[in-house]
Amino acid sequence: MGNKDKNQLSRRHFLKAGMAAGALSGISLPLQAAVTADTVAKDAASADSSPALHFSIRKLLNEATLQTAKGARVVIVGGGWSGLTMAKYIKIYNPAFDVVLLEKRPEFISFPASNPWLADQINLDFLTHSYIDAAKAHNYQFLNTTVCGFDRVSKNIFTSNGYINYDYMVLAPGIEYDYSRIGVVDPEAQLRLYNDYPGGFVNSSEIITIKRKLSSFKGGTFVLSVPNGEYRCTAAPYERACMVAAIFRKRRIRAKILLLDMNAEIRIEKQGFKKAFSSLYSDYINYLPSAEISGVDIDNKTIRTEFDEYPFDDAIIYPPVRASSLLEDAGIANLKSPQKVANTDPYKYHVIGDEHVYVTGDSRSQPFSKGGHTANSEAQYVAEVIAAHALGKEVRWRSPQTMCFSAVDINPLQAMSIITFYKFNEKNKEFEFDRTHMMEDWSTEGGQASLAWAEGMYRDMFYK
Amino acid sequence: MKAAIQNTLLGLLCLLASNVQAVEKITIQLEFTPDIEAGKTTFSVCARCHLPEAWGNADGTYPQLAGQHVNVLMKQLLDIRNGTRQSSLMFPFVQQRTIGGYQELSNVVAYISTLPMNPDYSKGPWKEGTAEYKQGKKIYQKHCSSCHGDKGEGNNELLYPKLQGQNFQYMSQQLGRVKSGLRAVNPVMQAVIVDLEIEQLDQAVNYASYFEAPK
Repeated sequence: MGNKDKNQLSRRHFLKAGMAAGALSGISLPLQAAVTADTVAKDAASADSSPALHFSIRKLLNEATLQTAKGARVVIVGGGWSGLTMAKYIKIYNPAFDVVLLEKRPEFISFPASNPWLADQINLDFLTHSYIDAAKAHNYQFLNTTVCGFDRVSKNIFTSNGYINYDYMVLAPGIEYDYSRIGVVDPEAQLRLYNDYPGGFVNSSEIITIKRKLSSFKGGTFVLSVPNGEYRCTAAPYERACMVAAIFRKRRIRAKILLLDMNAEIRIEKQGFKKAFSSLYSDYINYLPSAEISGVDIDNKTIRTEFDEYPFDDAIIYPPVRASSLLEDAGIANLKSPQKVANTDPYKYHVIGDEHVYVTGDSRSQPFSKGGHTANSEAQYVAEVIAAHALGKEVRWRSPQTMCFSAVDINPLQAMSIITFYKFNEKNKEFEFDRTHMMEDWSTEGGQASLAWAEGMYRDMFYK
Repeated sequence: MKAAIQNTLLGLLCLLASNVQAVEKITIQLEFTPDIEAGKTTFSVCARCHLPEAWGNADGTYPQLAGQHVNVLMKQLLDIRNGTRQSSLMFPFVQQRTIGGYQELSNVVAYISTLPMNPDYSKGPWKEGTAEYKQGKKIYQKHCSSCHGDKGEGNNELLYPKLQGQNFQYMSQQLGRVKSGLRAVNPVMQAVIVDLEIEQLDQAVNYASYFEAPK
């Protein structure tokens, strides 16, 4: 298409888009504004055939098709461990609620237990589950859609399927990588880094890529990184180092794993991992603490820290993380906070000043350990909070629970585990660990328990 | 619930097998001699969540299992195994493929029953002398003691749980679950819970939480 044509089309559409945008910026959008915009969209559809613009207008300003709400509608944004658990339990605590779960991925692939999967201890079926099954088993609606915007005044969520009106909204959109904190600032460089060396903690395609990398690695230096700050699944990068080493050992390839830890020491199960690195994998794992990554030279396959450079043949680069930018889109993110989290009530989880919007899961503002079990136990509590709020009642705070298994060796699978709760330290005004029990002697019983645990969690979220 | 399913199944069997006039239930009793040392090894799987002491916790997330009657523990494991008692997370742990067969179950419940109870388990909010405590005592003696015992000692033979040493929050939450239909229990227990208000149930378990735990 010539430039001239394109410009002409663009100008005509711009006018219509301008009207629609006007409706949008009027904030209290739906019904009346939507009807106006709908007319615009229909006009656009009949007037010409440029697909992009009237696609976006119509999708944005028509109501998404759902089963008609019979009660107050709770819309949950994000079908991870938090959102799935929330959808189930909110329906249990208040069956009158109309519960809708929104997720952009068509199916669920679990990150917990994915490290043993990399090492062939379980198959992909074990990790893969259907949102349709979950919604059927627990009587809520699932919509496979991408959220593109919010209006908290008219209480609408804009999605690629149209807008959805809510009485309560729960944002559980999870995390994003923050490559700027390892010195990669240019968006194109970030995208390239993501595609060449995915971290394996955000999108399930990443772990499939990683598995292929590990099974085809010819030898040399394989870099794994551990981010600083609160990242998803504290033990997982160390566990992964063990699994990668076990894979290389089994494949009998000459490879060195360089575990670059941005922290001063192993963050969790320190004695156990230290022992595993030295007793099982001393030929493979080279652990380097305080490796403050300050840049990645993708062309020359080199990672820079303040004092050193580490060339590599292949890598899994897990950068620090931040809360999903959907919180920014909703206008609730505190951009000054390191992880750009929302300003929420630490006990009741609602956005300060808006008791109809909640933030849970790994994008929460409390510093609880990010991970599946924390999200699951937390969501059971927050579901009760929301059900109580609708009745004008309150629920006593209870701590989320973090149960975490770390696979150390394979064939048979052997694992250690940790279980912890949290409490608020009134003196320091912050949450801290409470009743922490570490079981750092890895065993086959631990390995068995880790898989039974995962199966139990999937059962809780997906099946009756 | 279980009875209803059994009746339906029996009905179906009668319809299908035209020669069979009536199908009688068959009860099989099996005996196992528990191996407590082996039970300890099996319990190391359970201990990942229940912790090695099996003391449960104050917020009611886990029950005090230590020192409970063996038959009560066995019944709960089997109820969870067959789905009568819903616990998604426990379910895979008690399947044969994970924990093993009846022998292994016997070993592990025998081991748990030998564990000393937490002497400092969590008690209810109303101490002796308060109106709620007294009210709870009345309710307990009227509705609960005939099965669970005057001192919460339960009954191993009849599968009534020992309440001594049980954390208040756990008992309170479980009664709440039964009342809202999330946990199925035997019909007598069910009827008592349906008849009483949540506040009365809390008062009753508050009273029970002050029973002296066996040393």
